[in-house]
This record gives sequence, structure tokens and C-alpha cells, in this order.
Amino acid sequence: MHTDKQVLVFIEMEADRIHPLAPESLEAGRQVAQGLHAELAAVIMGGAVSDAVRDVRHYGVERVYIVEHPLLETYHGEYFCQALSAACLTATPSVILMANTLTGLDLAPRLAWNLDAGLVTDCVAIEASDGEITFTKPIYSGNVMAVYAPVTMPMLITLRPRAFTPLSLSDAPQGEIVPVAVNLDQASVKTTVVERILEHGDGIRLETAERIVAGGRGIGKAEGFSLLKTMAETLGAAIGASRPPCDLGWVSAKAQVGQTGEIVAPGLYIAVGISGSTQHLAGMAGSKTIVAINKDPQANIFKVADYGVVGNYEDVIPVFTETLVEILT
Amino acid sequence: MHIIVCMKQVPDPEGPREAFEINQTSGLVEPRGIPPVLSLFDENALEMALRIKDVHPAGAMISVLSMGKRISNAVMLKALAAGADEIVKVEDEALDAGRLDSFATAHLLAAAIRKTPFDLIITGRQAADFNDGQVGIGLAHILDLPVITVAHAVTVQGRELRAERVLAHGYEVMCTPMPAVIMASNEVGELRYPSMIQRREAKQKPVHTWRLADIGLVTPPARRLARRRLFAPELRERRCRIFSGSIPADAGRNLALQLKEDRVI
Repeated sequence: MHTDKQVLVFIEMEADRIHPLAPESLEAGRQVAQGLHAELAAVIMGGAVSDAVRDVRHYGVERVYIVEHPLLETYHGEYFCQALSAACLTATPSVILMANTLTGLDLAPRLAWNLDAGLVTDCVAIEASDGEITFTKPIYSGNVMAVYAPVTMPMLITLRPRAFTPLSLSDAPQGEIVPVAVNLDQASVKTTVVERILEHGDGIRLETAERIVAGGRGIGKAEGFSLLKTMAETLGAAIGASRPPCDLGWVSAKAQVGQTGEIVAPGLYIAVGISGSTQHLAGMAGSKTIVAINKDPQANIFKVADYGVVGNYEDVIPVFTETLVEILT
Repeated sequence: MHIIVCMKQVPDPEGPREAFEINQTSGLVEPRGIPPVLSLFDENALEMALRIKDVHPAGAMISVLSMGKRISNAVMLKALAAGADEIVKVEDEALDAGRLDSFATAHLLAAAIRKTPFDLIITGRQAADFNDGQVGIGLAHILDLPVITVAHAVTVQGRELRAERVLAHGYEVMCTPMPAVIMASNEVGELRYPSMIQRREAKQKPVHTWRLADIGLVTPPARRLARRRLFAPELRERRCRIFSGSIPADAGRNLALQLKEDRVI
């Protein structure tokens, strides 16, 4: 179709628009494209993609590949892998990038195995020098960083949320729209979605939260989380937790922040009754501002915090929240 | 029903930062003074297998497959005590986790898995050392099996498997015929705690050791990625400002006011 080198960013959709993390993926894609002297392209797949295409054309892309098909209406790993493989056949990208979301961590390895390509997951930095592009990711719970270079092309990358500054909007929309026709093979699909159970009113999601209020073992009981919820509502924050409250059933297992849960980097992280195990710190140390409330002055969490209160959270939080209400309204 | 759970031994992620020593010559991380443990994600996988066995006590047999340069039997005992029926170790000097990428790892595990009939393979979401999260899907690809990722619950009815797969706003129920691969999510929760009797009995359970040649390979498959270097991350200096007050409530108030003044909120 064309011979220019391309870097392809897979744009996840959310309610017919681009996913909130898409501008970060596009920024990472821009860095790779610059390093490889390649063009930046995006690919959007879904049942109907026109709104998302309009969104993405404001991010300075040269081309937007679109794959529209009724079977792509909601995410299904096998269909999405088929469709994205077809888009890659048309676009012949050198590097394919996507966000390390639940979708990304299912789709990227499927595509990597299908295209026989190398994949670096959870990438936090991209560097280009001497004509070589490298991708850095944390390993061993963030105690070591590893730098990878491609051996074969294409190469796949998934990006840790909040590791890249979102690409800013350009004034005029641009980018040629290239529809990719796919013939999805239903016969080869081995898994079926029987039903989807969606939770409503479950508050703000950790993945994209600007503020997170998290509780640990020090909360002591399930009811303790109600104090945290009031604080979170006042701040417009998501509720998180370290591992023990999840294992003990005080909060939903999905609230777990850490290497073994969700890795987050919000603007504000308030850790309450969390001692600060390595695996928890690996999941939140990238937060811009960290506040720790803990009754143990020796708790590890104070080593990574910017603000701290040594005290019993049940004494501290009600007044903290009251004061927040005063100053925020 | 034969369930194979893939479990990796990793240096304890809770070890202090200094313990993860980087050898620039070899390009490997050499853990100093920290014991190996079972990767937490793989403990989620074993717990999921045990829950299937709880429902089908007579019909389920759980084999734990572990691969590495050196595999501690003492560490594997934890899996046996929790309820696994046997351990299969693929242990060989050539199998240093630091020298294998996910591509090579999946091919090696697949070679070992092919040696016995099975119905279900369960892996963790990722390994706690390199966090790649690719091996489960790789196994499914190599063995031409269905795969369901981030599953937090599974049930087996006859030859059909039902798995609940975690979504950003809930979960979806997926069905697939067995044999299949499941990647367990951390939402499964922690591995059950064994009783004293289970611990004692675990020592009687079989531990098989295979070499690379036993799985029909001479050298590990080639890598798809080149690791250029390793480095220790720079730690952001944070100086924690501690708030106090004559009563704890004052500290809470002072903290809120300071956050406002510093434009954090």
C-alpha cells in the first residue's frame, strides 16, 4: 500500500469514544515514530468507530486504520486478535503499541504469538539512540529496570498507565482514514461469552483515577472502609487497598493496588493503615503526591510519603474529611 | 481430570532493594541473601485448581509444573501441603529464568506438558520476577488450545469449562471445551493455609525431576527480545512532612489545610 515505515498505536474504545489512556499511548507512539523516522498511525476496531475516529484525528496521526465489524462490538480476544492481525498485514508496522489495560494484557500477547513477534509489557520509558530504539520496564517488583531492544520486527509494546504524558490535541484534525476489510473466522473461535455482568455505581476506577484513597490491614475491619469511602467521595477519589483487606474480604479484590494487583500513579495517593510492603510500594510509588496515615511511626510507607500523620485513622480521618468539605466547597 | 498448574520460583519480592544485585558482566540479577518463594500469581493459580478439586474431590489430580535452573524442594512443599498431588520439576543449568524470555519459556513448558495427557492448564497472571504475562497465552498458542485470561473463578461441568473473566466494570462468563488454558487473576485470592497433618503428608507426595533432554530439547529456544542492560531505578527523594496536633483530630485538620495551601487538592 505504501512503503514508509509505520508505528501503529492500537486505540481501545470505551463507550464509543477513545479510552482515557489513548492519548498516553499516542505520545509513546510519537516517541517511537520519531526515533525510527517513521510515521505515526492508529488503529481503531469496533462495531461503529466514527466517534472514536473523530477523536483520534486530533492527535497528529498520519493514518487511522479502521476495522468495523459487528463481532467487534465488545472485546473478544480471539476476534480482536484476528482483526488486529489483519490491520497489521495492511499497515506492516515496525512497532505496535497499546495501553497495559485488561484488554491490552489479553490482546498484546495473543497478537505477539500470532505474529511471532517479541513483546515488552508494562513499558515505562522509550529511548532512541544510534539508530536503535529501546524499551524499559520494571522487573523484580520495581527493584530493577530492564532495557529491551527488538530482535525481529514487528515488535509489540504495552504501556504502563500514567508512565507517559498524554499527547496534546492538535488544532486541525488530520490523518487519512484507511478501512481494513476483515473476514472474521467464527469457526476457529474456541471461547464463547455467555453473559456480561456489569457493576453499576461502583465509583471511580483505579486505572484512570486522579486521586486514590487506599486502606490496609491497619483499617482492622470491613466497616472501617466506610470512613475511607466518605473521604474518597469528598475528594472525587477511587477506593484502593493493599493486599490484606482484599484477602480478608473487607473490600472487593478488584481494589487491590500493588505489584500483585493494579499498578497506579495518580496525582494524589492517600494510604491509610498501610505499612508499605515492597509489593504494595511497587504499585503506587509513582504517584505524584503521597499522604500516609498510620499509627506506627516506623511504618515503611512514611519513607515514600510526602505528608504523614502518625495516629489512629479513626481519630484523624473524620476531622480531615470535615475540613476537606469546608475547603473544597 | 488432570490439572497442570505452572508455578515459578522467584526471589522473594519483599526482599530489600540492595538484595537485587545487578551483575553487569552477565547481564543478570543476582539475588543476595533472599530465599526463593513461589510466585504469588502462581499461588492464585494453584488456589483456583484446588477450588476445582474441592468440588470434584475424587476426579481431580493436580500436578504442579515448575521450571528453572535450581528448584528448591522445600519451597515446592508448600504447594504439596496446600493440596497439589505431585510436583514435576524441569531443572537444568540451561534454564536460568534471566536468560529465557516468555517465548522460550512457553516453548519449554509446552514440551514438558506434551509428555502427559491433561485436561486443564492453569497459570498465574504473570511471574513476579519479569512480570511479562505472556506464557499462558503462549502455551495455548503452541498447544492449539483455547485460553481465558484474568479469570477469577472457574467451574467444570463434564467437558465444559466456565470461567468468570474480570472486566474493568464487572466480569464476563466465558465457556470453552476442555482441554484449555486458564490464566488466573489476582482476584482469586491467596493460597489456602495447610494444616499440620497436610504439611506432614506433603513430604510423602511424589516429586519428579526432569532435565532438558527429558522433554526432548537440547538447548532452549531462541529469544524474541534482546535485553540490552539492567539498571537500578533512581529513587525519588521524598521528605515526609509529619503533621501532629495536641489531639489527633488537629493533625487531620492541619493536613487538609496544608494540602490545600500546597495546591495538592
